[in-house]
Amino acid sequence: MDFIYLLIQLVSAIIVAPLFDGISRKLRAKFQSRIGPSIFQTYYDIFKLLKRGRTKSSSTSYVYQIAPYLLFISAAAMFCALPITYGANSSALTHFSDIFVLLYLGALFRFIFIVAGIDTANPYAGISASREGTIGFYTEEVAVICLIVVMMGTGSTSLPFISSLVQTGEYGYAIPSFAIASTAFLWVMYVETGRKPYDLAEAEQELQEGVLGEFCGKDFAIIDIAILLKQITVLGFFLVVFMPWAGLVDNPIVSLVLFLVEVGFLYVMGVFIDNFGPRFTINKGMKRTMLFALAISCTSLVLYIMGI
Amino acid sequence: MQTIYTLFLLTSLVSLALYKKPLLAQKIGFGGASLISLYAAVFFFSNLDETMLWKLPGSFISLPLFRLDSLGMFFSFLVSFIAFAVSLFSFDYAKFYEKKANLAVFASLFNAFILSMLLVIASDNVFSFMLLWEVMTLLSALLILINDEEGAGKRVMIYLGIAQVGASCLMVALIIMASIAGTFEFSQFEHLNIGTGMSITLFSLLLLGLGSKAGMFPFHVWLPIAYCQCPSNASALMSGVMIKVALFAFIKFSLLLPQVVTFGYILLAIGALSCIFGIIYALISNDYKASIAYSSCENVGIIFLGLGGAFYGLGTDSPTIALMGFIAGFYHILNHAVFKSLLFMLSGNIFTETQTRDMDALGGLHKKMPITSVIFFVAALSICALPPLNGFASEWLIYKTSVIGGMAEGGSSRFFFSLAVIALSITGAMAIMAFSKVYGAIFLGVARDSKSIENAKEVSVGRLIPLALLASLCVGFGLFMNDVVGMLTKIVLTIIPQTSVGVAGLISMPLIVAIMLLCSLLPFVFLYFLKANNKEVRVSDPWACGFLYNKNMQIGSNSFTGDVRKALSFLIKHEQEIKLDGYFSKAVYTKKTHDFFWEKLYKPVIDLVMQIAEEIGIFQNGRTNLYAGYILIYLCLILIFGYYYL
Repeated sequence: MDFIYLLIQLVSAIIVAPLFDGISRKLRAKFQSRIGPSIFQTYYDIFKLLKRGRTKSSSTSYVYQIAPYLLFISAAAMFCALPITYGANSSALTHFSDIFVLLYLGALFRFIFIVAGIDTANPYAGISASREGTIGFYTEEVAVICLIVVMMGTGSTSLPFISSLVQTGEYGYAIPSFAIASTAFLWVMYVETGRKPYDLAEAEQELQEGVLGEFCGKDFAIIDIAILLKQITVLGFFLVVFMPWAGLVDNPIVSLVLFLVEVGFLYVMGVFIDNFGPRFTINKGMKRTMLFALAISCTSLVLYIMGI
Repeated sequence: MQTIYTLFLLTSLVSLALYKKPLLAQKIGFGGASLISLYAAVFFFSNLDETMLWKLPGSFISLPLFRLDSLGMFFSFLVSFIAFAVSLFSFDYAKFYEKKANLAVFASLFNAFILSMLLVIASDNVFSFMLLWEVMTLLSALLILINDEEGAGKRVMIYLGIAQVGASCLMVALIIMASIAGTFEFSQFEHLNIGTGMSITLFSLLLLGLGSKAGMFPFHVWLPIAYCQCPSNASALMSGVMIKVALFAFIKFSLLLPQVVTFGYILLAIGALSCIFGIIYALISNDYKASIAYSSCENVGIIFLGLGGAFYGLGTDSPTIALMGFIAGFYHILNHAVFKSLLFMLSGNIFTETQTRDMDALGGLHKKMPITSVIFFVAALSICALPPLNGFASEWLIYKTSVIGGMAEGGSSRFFFSLAVIALSITGAMAIMAFSKVYGAIFLGVARDSKSIENAKEVSVGRLIPLALLASLCVGFGLFMNDVVGMLTKIVLTIIPQTSVGVAGLISMPLIVAIMLLCSLLPFVFLYFLKANNKEVRVSDPWACGFLYNKNMQIGSNSFTGDVRKALSFLIKHEQEIKLDGYFSKAVYTKKTHDFFWEKLYKPVIDLVMQIAEEIGIFQNGRTNLYAGYILIYLCLILIFGYYYL
């Protein structure tokens, strides 16, 4: 039964994700005084990609061929690790839904992204692969510092367990370190969604797309979905740890719907940063902006160590 | 167990005796080693719960006792199992060194090296331990010299120098411990009656002595120097198991001391530094073997993070943390032995086929060596600790231990365990970058220097079988995490006082795999129902913004890490040289990265020693009568000293 709900959770996210993207594209267009595409545009894009033929670079090997599937698997498994339709009492899946499983599945996503980028032998894909790694180098520790506060505070790495503690109020915003950590964590998760100012395109469209520039047809469609799913997952990661209110409802389907609405809200709200965000070069951008997030997360860790 | 030791000794002697027929000796030596070590692995594994004793027959100056308890059995198993895979690999690989060295000597040294490691683990006496420890160091140094290149002598001296500094610390610590205990047998050392300060001093000496051999920070400088120099099968043994022998000795001796919480803190701090610096250097080096070598420092750091939790648990009387810490540490020791020896052997495959260690010259090797490439991919995933492979299983346990340890009230434990988790996560992020770079630069894309892979072809089946075996273990040890933890629990319970605790709340690896498989079905269903375009893929040149594609446009291993190097410029010094001959000629860029700690820590010491050696050189002028004079002066001084003070 758990598995069926898990499947529903995953499939519904895949179905809804392009809509969020469509809405945010429409909203961005409104900001820029354009009419913009229809909110279903992302669906149309994916359907169109499925019908297109494919080319590949002569240098590619098996890594390039399986990369879309591996990216999808890691993103989808990450999403499954979010305890939305299942809770702390569900016996089997609690052994899966773990903070480090989620983080390292994210690392798997990154690894595949980098090797696929190098495999294409495309100069832009190579640079974007390098940047993917560099962004990980900057964001990972901030995310983990925030999570340390939560994990050591609750004494567990299990996501359903942490969610249930925050839901019942045994652990939560009454504790200053937790409240401060939540700000930095949301910041990092926004960075992980890879939108401005963290897309780091530096005026080259090819850099922003990176490895995606080489993919086409159905491969590209799958990667597109995988990336949308990953963006939803990282925002959902924040919700599950710091605002797990959707789980208060007992019915799994209702809480799934509530969760999707929350994630969609966060996703679309991201446009406000995305649209007005400046463009940085990678060194300046990451160093300057991540330093603030790092400072916030360190503050919360220091508070935790002091026992507040 | 004596049979195994005797067999190794015999094989070593026989292959040395056949030095006039190196090819035959090589077959006997490596073939024998693989058979004996297979037998040994089975033997040690089936006797994991037992304690065995063996006294050296005959009358020597002392009568060394050899003793294997549960922990010793586990490490002996580890040594012999990895030795099995490596010697099977060497059977074919060693031929590559036919012209460089006498293969009979190579085979003989190889056997003797395995024997010395097994004996170090078993020895139960200070003197036999120190003697065998030095023999092990010497044999490994000779193995490095098999690959006799220019500058090999200097490299071996650096290795031996650091090993000697460590050995002297170790010697001092052991003699102090022996004098307090009043005996030289380790098994009677228990309950040393010493204060906290003394205990911490002895612990630090042990850490310096054995950690330097294990390649911990700041002694990591010898790792790339030694491992890049020696043949890959020897570096697989050294990195895979020799540093584990050092860790074994460290665990064994530190457990004999009265436990203090500070032990845990020291280990956590050193572990955090080791893994961060190790991975930084692994990330920025352009030589794939150096990258793998530096990552040994990283992994030793990770092991120390687990052991730090364990010693913290022992110091604070919390058996659960101690149990989990030791299990995590041993699990990572096991995993590191498997994937590190695998990576070194793979690097041997790459080197024999391409003759280069420079990642900026390689590329596209997958098309020539597909099986090596796939095995390398598995090894890289596993060293990056990606689920569901073995590295992830042990790192997860280390995280879990740290989280439980950091729950306790009190600033210092929270601080050190947070440090451990942060260090491990930064290491994780950088390991991803380092090994995706190594894999990508060697196997994927287009060859940057097409000459390098021109003659490359897949290596023989004999060499691939042991690699495939280890790669399948990388998967197996991850998938059957619960069984491995169960086995390690039994071993750990023999070394910690409490016996009624267990590990609970593990993640389930089979479940992770099941969910990943479930997820892998979705895209196919999706593609099928939406009737995707399945036409054949057209092949074209990579996109180059409309310019004509050139293989030099690819990202190189240097530029791949450019942004990280810029961010870490306070730690990594590099010199950039640009040679420009004329306006129309090609510019040549060279970039050299320096090890910060080599410049600041080692070079001044070496310079000082060289200077002192120069100064005292005047005493050695070659005249025999002057030397006799020295002896006379010395004797007089001793007499005077004895007359007044004794």
